[in-house]
Amino acid sequence: MEAVLRRAEQAAYDTDEEKLLIEQAQNGNREAFEELVRKHDRDILRLAFHMLGNREEAREVFQETFLKAFRSLNRFRFESSFYTWIYRIATNVSLDHLRKRQTLREEISYESDTETNPDRPALKDTLAATTYYSNPERRLYGREIGERIQEALKTLSEKERLVFELRHYQGLRLRMIGEIMGSTEETAKNYLFRATQKLRAQLGKV
Amino acid sequence: MTCQEYQRQIVLSLYEELHEGERSGLETHLSECAGCRQAYEEHHDFCNTLAEDKSAWDFPSDLLVESRRALANDLDALEKRRSWWRIPTFSVVFTPMRMLESATLIALGLACGVYISNRQVSPSSAPAGFDAPVALSTVPQNGRVSNVRIVSADASTATVEFTGDVVQPLRFTGLLEDDTTRRLLFSAVQDSMNPGSRAQAVEVLARQSSEPPVKQVLIHALLNDQSLNVRLKAFEGLKPFAADEDVRTAFIQALMNDPNDGVRVAVVDALAPITKDEAEMASRIEAVTRNDDNTYVRLKGQGLMQMVGTQK
Repeated sequence: MEAVLRRAEQAAYDTDEEKLLIEQAQNGNREAFEELVRKHDRDILRLAFHMLGNREEAREVFQETFLKAFRSLNRFRFESSFYTWIYRIATNVSLDHLRKRQTLREEISYESDTETNPDRPALKDTLAATTYYSNPERRLYGREIGERIQEALKTLSEKERLVFELRHYQGLRLRMIGEIMGSTEETAKNYLFRATQKLRAQLGKV
Repeated sequence: MTCQEYQRQIVLSLYEELHEGERSGLETHLSECAGCRQAYEEHHDFCNTLAEDKSAWDFPSDLLVESRRALANDLDALEKRRSWWRIPTFSVVFTPMRMLESATLIALGLACGVYISNRQVSPSSAPAGFDAPVALSTVPQNGRVSNVRIVSADASTATVEFTGDVVQPLRFTGLLEDDTTRRLLFSAVQDSMNPGSRAQAVEVLARQSSEPPVKQVLIHALLNDQSLNVRLKAFEGLKPFAADEDVRTAFIQALMNDPNDGVRVAVVDALAPITKDEAEMASRIEAVTRNDDNTYVRLKGQGLMQMVGTQK
């Protein structure tokens, strides 16, 4: 985990080498773009996987993020770091997916109210069954505490969840998180505080 | 500041997000206020508990491989759809009409060059033994001439001698097993400027990877190509022959040297089934993967040793 945090800190600043890669990619060099992808794809996948909680959606977010970056790379003007820029895309795509999922849940929940068949599984159970708790690797490390934390995380609002995710698990500084959200460091601080308060209330003395 | 406000600072201090002045202010307050000190301790314990769960949050190692592969396919498809003049960089400067004008001018220039060289180059005067140049009596109408150098210009006979390269557009249809088809595919695999073309060529060649020359090209691509997509496609082509000695050796090399976790994960997975009865091989893989950065690769290496029952 420490390595992840160190990498996040290093990656947050564009090096000359990265600038060159961005310029080459902007000129249509596919290999340069792939190199940029390789530099950041683990962090983006980790974010997507944590935010969405299942591999299919995480992969979709991963693809959508980098395809969007590929299509709009020419509009990148070096006004922020590439890291911030790509994270901003990834967080927006992740939030879109969460919202879509919420809408779907609401629709199906309405349907299941009128559903007469009691054997039909509720959508939330179906979704839970596809979370990473059900995959072998997660099971390997699966501990009660992890599951309780995951449940508690579900009680956070999208923004609180995002800020907590980016600060606690991805190791980004709040100033950068503010930038990624198109907001300020102070706002990010408020979200982080609220998120930890809620989590403590949910988890009590774990 | 009230204790309520210090609660917020306690959280931020545990994430090292306080400025120097704020931190010293908080420390002073904590030394004076037992209630906040207790809140600090509780928050500290809470953060430690959360931190314990961090290791469980890593994504499955094969998901990265899968995602990268899917992205590479998407990018391939996207590039195929894009006409080259629609690449954003070009589109600003070069509209299709401007490109047409430029192409016409270039074609006119080339036609003039061809006309002049047809009149002046003597076939017998091409220098022999110079990187095996082919003496041309004429330059093909659709040939692109480049690297033209004047070897000699004799004013008395009004003769000019050139060397250079002629590149002709090529369109060829042939069976996969034909020599020409193979030669063209091998050339495409070596095209350092075009990873997309290399990936396509490797994908096509992978259909015949049982044949020794094709296998060697795929092994070379797996071990040397800069593009991850090409290396993964070469790996896919070689995977059915993982039991062959040369492929197995190449896989071990890839396991040792490939910078990409996805390739190493895929390779160690491919080696596992053929290693179950070979203690020496399992030991070799374990040694190669012992210090791997990737947990999955390391565990897999150890697992192989356990499987053959040679771990002490």
